[in-house]
Amino acid sequence: MFIRKNVRRFLDLPLRRKLILSFLIVIVIGGVLSLIVGMRIEHQTIISLAEAKVRHDLGSAWMVYEERLRSLRDVVRLSATQEFFRATLGQTDLKKVAGRLDGIRREFGLDVLNLTDALGRVVIRSRSADAPVGDDVSRDPFIALALQRQVPAGTRTVPREELLMDGADLADRALFRFVPTPKAAARAEDHEDKGMMLTAAAPIVDESGVLLGVLTGGLLFNRNYDLVDRVKEIVFKGEKYKGHDIGTATLFQDDLRIATNVLDDQGNRAVGTRVSREVKEAVLDRGETYVGRAFVVTAWYITAYRPIKDISGRTIGMLYVGMLEKPYIDLRDRVMATFAGIAALCALFLLGLLAFIARRITRPLAVIVNATGKIAQGDLRHRVDLKGQDEIGQLARAFNLMTDELCLAHEDLTQWGRTLERRVEERTRELRETQDQLIVSEKLASLGKMAAGVAHEINNPLTTILIDTHLLLERPGRDAEEQETLNTIAGETTRCAAIVSSLLDFARQTPSQAAPTDINGVIDRTLELLEKQASVRNVLIEKDLDRGLPPIEVDKNKIRQVFSNLVINACEAMPTGGTLVVASRMSRDGTHIEIIFTDTGVGISKENFPKLFDPFFTTKSFGTGLGLAVSYGIIRQRGGMINVRSEVGKGTVFTVRIPLADPEEGKHVEEAPQ
Amino acid sequence: MNKQDKHRILVVDDEPTVCKSIRQALVREDCEVDMALSGEEALSKDAERPYDVMIVDLMMPGISGVDLLKQLKARNPKARIIMVTGYPTMKNTLQSMLLGAMDFLPKPFLPATLRSLVAAALEAGNDKPEGSGAAG
Repeated sequence: MFIRKNVRRFLDLPLRRKLILSFLIVIVIGGVLSLIVGMRIEHQTIISLAEAKVRHDLGSAWMVYEERLRSLRDVVRLSATQEFFRATLGQTDLKKVAGRLDGIRREFGLDVLNLTDALGRVVIRSRSADAPVGDDVSRDPFIALALQRQVPAGTRTVPREELLMDGADLADRALFRFVPTPKAAARAEDHEDKGMMLTAAAPIVDESGVLLGVLTGGLLFNRNYDLVDRVKEIVFKGEKYKGHDIGTATLFQDDLRIATNVLDDQGNRAVGTRVSREVKEAVLDRGETYVGRAFVVTAWYITAYRPIKDISGRTIGMLYVGMLEKPYIDLRDRVMATFAGIAALCALFLLGLLAFIARRITRPLAVIVNATGKIAQGDLRHRVDLKGQDEIGQLARAFNLMTDELCLAHEDLTQWGRTLERRVEERTRELRETQDQLIVSEKLASLGKMAAGVAHEINNPLTTILIDTHLLLERPGRDAEEQETLNTIAGETTRCAAIVSSLLDFARQTPSQAAPTDINGVIDRTLELLEKQASVRNVLIEKDLDRGLPPIEVDKNKIRQVFSNLVINACEAMPTGGTLVVASRMSRDGTHIEIIFTDTGVGISKENFPKLFDPFFTTKSFGTGLGLAVSYGIIRQRGGMINVRSEVGKGTVFTVRIPLADPEEGKHVEEAPQ
Repeated sequence: MNKQDKHRILVVDDEPTVCKSIRQALVREDCEVDMALSGEEALSKDAERPYDVMIVDLMMPGISGVDLLKQLKARNPKARIIMVTGYPTMKNTLQSMLLGAMDFLPKPFLPATLRSLVAAALEAGNDKPEGSGAAG
C-alpha cells in the first residue's frame, strides 16, 4: 500500500523531476554498489599486497638470521682451526688460552665461547674467569656432532643452570617475567628463565688429525636487539609513519618476545609480552608459517611469523616481521576517498548531464504544451519552432502540421460560416422582398375590396346627382347661366363616375390590351405631352434611348400611364427645377427592357422608402397617392418590376424592367367590367 | 288611359334618395312608379299587385338584389327586371343575365339611358296580351 502510494506519487511528478529522480536512483544505487565492491576489491588488493610484502620481508629477515648463524659458524670454525688452539690444547696454562678465547669472543661479539676437550668435558668457559669447568657436555647435540668432526650450527634453548655456569649476567639477561598479554595463550609459569641461543660448534683437530677438543660459540638472543634492529634496518630501512616504525621484527622464545623493536605504549621495547594464542597455535604447535593481520602489543600489524627450529627439528621459537597496518589502511582510505570522490564527481557530472538532457527533453515538451494552450485559446497562428530529428522534433513537426490543418479547417469553417451568413442574408432579403410583394399584393387586394365599397357608396350619390341634374336640365324655362351651371354639374359628376371607374379598373386589374409596342415610341409620346408641364417647372428632360430595342407585348396606354406617373413624380421631386434623364436599354442578360428615370431631386427618405408603392401614400398635399401604386401594379401584372434607388438631397433613380416575354399571354382574365 | 291601365314600375334600392331620383326620372303620365327600400318590401308590394317592370339594386342589406331577382323570377318567370349596381363586375353581370334579368345597368347612369331600357322592357311586355296585368 505504501509502495503503491509512493509509486503513484512518483508517477504524478512532472516529467523532468521524474527523469531526474529516476536517474538519481540509478546513480545512487550504482554508485553505492560500485563503491562497496570497489572498496572490498581494493581492500583485498592492498591487504594482499601488504601480505605479499610482509611474506617477502619475512624471507629477508630470515636471511639476516641465517647470515648471522653462518657468520657465527664461520667464526667458530675458523677459530677452531687456529694453530694457537692446537698448540695450546692439552697445556696446563689454561689462563692464557682463556684470555685468548675471551679476546676472540669479544672481538666477534659472542656471548659464549667455550672449549671442550676431546671427551666432551668443558675446559674453558671464556665469559668469566671463575666459571666452573670440567662438566661433561658430550651429550649436548652440538658437542656430540662436533666430536664427530662436524661443524653444527643452530639455535637451541639453553636452561638457566647452563647460563648460570657461563655467567650470572647471562642468566639474568635471559630471565623474563611475563607481562600480562590479553590475547596470549595461558601458561602455568609466570616467568621464563631459559635462554634462546644461536650456537655453533667446531672440532679442533691437530695436524695428524687427532681430535683435540671442541670449540663452541653462542649468541644469546634474549634482550639482544642486534638482530631485530638489523632486520628492521635492512628490510624496512627504518621507515617511519607518523612517528611509528613501519616495520618491526621480533624474536620469540616459544611465545615470549625476547628481542623486539615493537614498542609498548611507554615507548619501551615490548619484551616480556607474549604472542597471541592464534599465532602460537599456528606457528609453534603446527610449525606453519603464519601470515595475516594481528594485533601486536598496541596496534594492528600485517604480520608474518616463521618457526625457529633447533637442530633436532623441534620448534623452539619464532621470527616475526610486521608492518604497521595503519599506513595501508590510510592508503586504502585515501584511495577509497579518491574513489568515492571520483564517484561523487561522476555522479555530479551525470546529474548535470541528466539535468541538461532532461531539460532538452522537457523544454521542447513544455514549448509544445504551451503551444497547445495558446491554440486552445484560439491563437491559431502560433507555431512550434523546434528543430531536430528525434521524436520531439517529429512531434513538433506533426504538431505544426496539425495546427496548419486546423488553421485551414478553421478558415474553411469561417469561410463557410461567412458564405452561410451571406446566403442567409440573401435568403432573408429575398424573403423580405417576397414578403414585401406579398404585402403589396395584400394591399392591392385590400385596395380592391375598398375600391368596391367606395365605388358602390360613391356611385349611389353620383347616380342621384346625375339623374337629378339631368331632370333639372330637362325642365324648360331656365336662363343660359343656370343651364350652364347644371351642365357643369352633370359633366363633373360624369368625371367623378370616370374616376371611380378607373379606381375600379385598377382594383380589378382590368385586362390589358397588349400589342407589340415600341417602348421608345411610348416614351416619346409621353414626354411630348409632359414636356410643357416640365419646362414650366424648370425641369429639363433628356433622353438617352436605345433605338434598337425590339417591340414588346404591352398595353401601351397602361405603360404610358406608368411613364407619366414617373415623370410627374420626378418633376414634383424637383420643386426648384433640375434634370430628368429618361434612358432605355436592353438588360445585360438580354431578357428585359429597362427604362430608367434619373432625377436630381430631393430624394426619398429612409422612413418613406418602404411605403413608396403603398396606395394612397403621398408626401404631396395634392396627390392621390395612387400613382406609384397603380404603376407598380401595372408593371407587376406585366411580369416586370420597378426598382428604386435614392439618396436624400441628390436624387432618385426609378428603373422599370419589363420582360421581353409576356407572362400573361394566353391567360384568361376572370373579371372584366360589363 | 285610366289608372288601371297605367304601367306599373317598382324601384327597389336601400337608399331613398336614389329611389326618389330614379322615380323622378321615370315618372310619366302613363307610368305609375312605386318605391321599395328593401327586398322584403318589394316582395310584399309585388305580391299585392304585380309590377310591369322592376328596377332592382344589386347590393342591399337583407335580401340582396340577386336573391330578390331569384324569388321574383320564381314567382313569375315573366317578370321584367332591370338590375342596377354601383359595383358592376363581370361576375354579377353574367349572374344577373343568367337569372333572367332584362338588363344590367351600372350606376351612375343618365335618365335617358334608364328610360330607354324601361321603355324597351315595357315594349317587350306589350308584345304579349295584357295577361300579366290581368293576372295581377
